[in-house]
Amino acid sequence: MTLQARQISKAYGVQRVLDRLTLSVDAGEVVCLLGPNGAGKTTLILTLSGLQKPDSGEVLWDGQAAGASALKLRRSIGLILHQPFLYEHLTGCENLRFYSLLYETGHSEADLRKLMGRVGLANARPIPVRGFSRGMKQRLTIARALLCDPRVLLFDEPYTGLDQQGCGMLNQLVQEENARGKLILLTTHELSFIRQIATRFDVLHRGKIADSIPNDGISLDLLQEHYNTVVSAGGTRQKELA
Amino acid sequence: MRAWLHSVRVLVWKDLLQEWRSRDIVTSMLAFAVLSLFIFNYALELSPINRAEIAPGIIWVVMVFAGTLGLNRSFTAEQDQGCFEGLMMAVPDLSAIYFAKLLTNMLMMIFLAVLVIPIYSLLYNQSLFNWAFLGVLGLGAWGYSAAGTLISSMTVQTRMRDLLLPVLLFPLLLPVNMAVVKSCGVLLGTVAGQDIRGWLNLLLVYDAVVTTLSLLVFEYVIQE
Repeated sequence: MTLQARQISKAYGVQRVLDRLTLSVDAGEVVCLLGPNGAGKTTLILTLSGLQKPDSGEVLWDGQAAGASALKLRRSIGLILHQPFLYEHLTGCENLRFYSLLYETGHSEADLRKLMGRVGLANARPIPVRGFSRGMKQRLTIARALLCDPRVLLFDEPYTGLDQQGCGMLNQLVQEENARGKLILLTTHELSFIRQIATRFDVLHRGKIADSIPNDGISLDLLQEHYNTVVSAGGTRQKELA
Repeated sequence: MRAWLHSVRVLVWKDLLQEWRSRDIVTSMLAFAVLSLFIFNYALELSPINRAEIAPGIIWVVMVFAGTLGLNRSFTAEQDQGCFEGLMMAVPDLSAIYFAKLLTNMLMMIFLAVLVIPIYSLLYNQSLFNWAFLGVLGLGAWGYSAAGTLISSMTVQTRMRDLLLPVLLFPLLLPVNMAVVKSCGVLLGTVAGQDIRGWLNLLLVYDAVVTTLSLLVFEYVIQE
């Protein structure tokens, strides 16, 4: 599977967030989108997921526009955004059961408990989610995103709220899913963690992919330096490349 | 169609479970309804004849105003925790979200009617225990919820949702209000010379048309 964004633009009022952006991600890749606050990372994730339409350009799945099968494609995406998509008055297991029923995954209670165990919530008390800490909610959000065994994972700031162990758990999950040939695109500022699993870093700046850095064992310092150079150069490298 | 009905069933189960745990909507609707009935009781010094005449009006007005409290909150959980996006990613057809919310809101209204009728009977010393009466209120609740759920899905995304919902909804409810009050009046024998079938037909047509149109436009409304 290949996910492509072709010349997509998106503006909120007069503020242009994505500017004829082109991006391609193949199955088996773990692509990390880097960029300063307000660069348009979340807008790009929303657009790729189909939750938001671009003003111009198109999103292609295996070279085809989503069109009539948009809803079907949507159901094959595991999505994490800033908000958890969790119902505060339901327990963790009830939230998973609810989404499992909607996706018609056929998961049993044991399957759901196993999934809770995968994200480190095996011993979580059966209390409503409103009693969960931020990190526990994020772990449950990760479980919710993996629930339907999606072919594509779009994670926006997935490390938010997670402790060191949680970040390690997420890295392990992403690697496991990557080994199963999933297409993975995530955004983060946690370079130290993402450096361990990403196959490529795309720097989003001024609405475009300003640079693409392959992860061939790049050190954290070099990655940080490269990123800073691209961002402070204001995307001049993009112009040079063009 | 099977997947669509399955989604509706799951969404209604989730909404009712949420409400059972929080009791946010039912409590506020019921408190408002009971207080309104008390106020009407003391504000209107009614003779036994007048009581019967205004019973349909009072019951329906209380239900409509109490219902807006419920409608205002019906999409709050989805809005606050981003669950709307979660549902949009998971359901096979977005209209299932609308229909499930319609059913939940209608059930809340019927539950409210079941509680309000005996309270009214007690306060006003007038028996309204009549299945046909409850049936008409149920049809009214369907039309009210059909229009209200669609308008609520629009206003929940605005800062002035508490104000906008009644302003946009109440003009749309004019046919329902007339049909429910007149039909109930005929059932109680306070409206003479009118055929209930005409009003019931109006109510049924309104319910069917608004529900169908809302199912068709809901996807556009939430995506835009």
